[in-house]
Amino acid sequence: MMRAQFPHIDKVSIRPFVLRSQLYSSVVDRTQVDRELESLRRTKVLRIFKLNTGQDDHAIMFLDDYLNQIERAVKRMEEKNVHDLEVFEWFKIHVIDTRLEPNISHQDLCSLLSLGGKVKDNQISVLINGGVIIRQLIDPSMYWFAIPNVGSMLKGLSQGRKELLSLLSRRRYKEMLLASLEKKRLRLSPLDMRFHLRDLIGSGHLKTIKTPTGLVVRISKE
Amino acid sequence: MWKEIEKRESGRVRPRSFANRVKSSRVASLQLSNHKDIVSPHKGSVNSLQVDLTEGRYLLSGASDASAAVYDVQQPQKLEGGGLIAKHKPIFVIDKQHEHRHKYAISSAIWYPIDTGLFVTGSYDHYIKVWDTNSTQAVMNFKMPGKVYSTSMSSLATSHMLIAAGTEDVQVRLCDIASGAFAHTLSGHRDGVMTVQWSNSSEYVLVTGGCDGAIRFWDIRRAGCFRVLDQSHSQLGRRPPLLERSAMTKVFVSCVVTCICILGSTSRSSSGGQNMSKATAVSRKSSHGNGAKHSGSNRISAKGSIKHRLHPGMLSSQDRATAHYGAVTGLKISEDGMYLFSAGSDSRLRLWDIESGCNTLVNFETVRLQTNKPIQLSVSEDSALVFVPCMTVVKAFDFWSGKTYFTFRGHYEYVNCCCYSALDQELYTGGNDRQILVWSPFISYEADEGTTRNEDSWSD
Repeated sequence: MMRAQFPHIDKVSIRPFVLRSQLYSSVVDRTQVDRELESLRRTKVLRIFKLNTGQDDHAIMFLDDYLNQIERAVKRMEEKNVHDLEVFEWFKIHVIDTRLEPNISHQDLCSLLSLGGKVKDNQISVLINGGVIIRQLIDPSMYWFAIPNVGSMLKGLSQGRKELLSLLSRRRYKEMLLASLEKKRLRLSPLDMRFHLRDLIGSGHLKTIKTPTGLVVRISKE
Repeated sequence: MWKEIEKRESGRVRPRSFANRVKSSRVASLQLSNHKDIVSPHKGSVNSLQVDLTEGRYLLSGASDASAAVYDVQQPQKLEGGGLIAKHKPIFVIDKQHEHRHKYAISSAIWYPIDTGLFVTGSYDHYIKVWDTNSTQAVMNFKMPGKVYSTSMSSLATSHMLIAAGTEDVQVRLCDIASGAFAHTLSGHRDGVMTVQWSNSSEYVLVTGGCDGAIRFWDIRRAGCFRVLDQSHSQLGRRPPLLERSAMTKVFVSCVVTCICILGSTSRSSSGGQNMSKATAVSRKSSHGNGAKHSGSNRISAKGSIKHRLHPGMLSSQDRATAHYGAVTGLKISEDGMYLFSAGSDSRLRLWDIESGCNTLVNFETVRLQTNKPIQLSVSEDSALVFVPCMTVVKAFDFWSGKTYFTFRGHYEYVNCCCYSALDQELYTGGNDRQILVWSPFISYEADEGTTRNEDSWSD
């Protein structure tokens, strides 16, 4: 039921992904959302990634889209003449299929990649440069899985959130009609307004209230 | 109401379900009490509240100004407002003038579970004191290596009298009242321990939640913890799916701990889509005698060459699974001992199935939770509702669907602790605004005008 939410992001070089909070805002029963996500994840239709923008963000992407994205990253690196690109192949075949969680430990990674061939440390750096895995800050031997080239989107995400929240908080009563809000464009974010709205409503920073003239979006106080 | 009683009389409704219906209708009408008030003598924020377990009559509170007080919540000291409002003043207060006082804030105050003759307070001045209630003297003092965040005593214990203390040190210490010394320490956490709770089903099982985000289960008769909860291990639904046991699980001696072998097989199978290579790693691990958990992060064979050999019980210290992305700030086991409710500073509330060690993915809608102090959660007696202090309100969530049923707004500042008394269906909450508020089922006063004057505390 969540597959209907495929955002039309006609942006550069990245495949669509959905944030978890957006799913929460669209579907009423949050527990159901969690459970369906879990079962889809186990059947390998989706992948979930943890993002580092604020508290508890997860990005959800269809598996084919993710593989496409990796392909593009590989091509870009080929253009820059980086060697050892077969690491990406091994990564795709061995690691993605077997590890379904958003993170992986160093040992795990090495042992799985070595199923494809001999693995060296600089090959892992190649993976990090390509953007497929990221070191965790808290724990130096664990890595998060990541989406390549997602950096600009993440920046746009956090700046867009801030901008939207400041837009509403500057108003006298901290609220605005949904219809007029949707027409505005955000200066700093390449993602469109509806994306941010759904995300903030789902994470609880904004709430919608029914009024006789339509829906009103207000900043929630707790 | 009378129809219900008539049905029970004629036997159409069973006595138990009649009682449950009355109780749940009372809980559904909880609001700020209009007939009961607790006069709080504290000059600092109230950090901990507990109603005693034997009679449900005395409420013990601990506050940040190093004061502790006991109130009788069933008998008021004074009746005001024409006999309608009962004011409960503290029976005694231990404050800064007391000779055995704590020096800094009291973070946790609990009753001795067997009777109300003793209570235990733990404070940020690194001491845990055991007090005699009748003479209001501190009879025992335990010095801890760091600020005490939380203390707990087992209500089921018949063979031990241990106080489990969670401090900002990484080790959990067990203090023995009978001998006055430390029994032993449990290590495995990698940062301070914010909450400790004894299990409701076994007197030897302790659950601790730490600032590193891990929730560990310890059997105090063995070294090392036997389970670490991992938030990525989840099951859909209340019970784990029934699957064949694998041949590698070992059955352990202690009676309670037989649930671990179910854990051993279901944690492998409930993480359904996992690969076979993982299963062999897990089975190799279970042959080490620990038998407990899940997977991947515990690469004993690979690390064997690097680390020196560890005692098999300590293998769990390698396990770095986290239950929350931040610190674990509150833990509560449900009354039937099967589910564990945990609150974290990542503003998530999670419900865990204790037997399988998996996250039942119930989503509780919360925006923010307090992050720097441990908070005290409470469950209603038939485990249908859980009361969680979220910033300045207390929310009651339905256990299974995660919906917010009630929101109790009354405090002026953050709420730190809440305690539900199952006997009277009342909720007591304490917060940073130094108040203890009582939330009780709604009683309307219009019809009662003539009779209140004739009532005294003997009539019911």
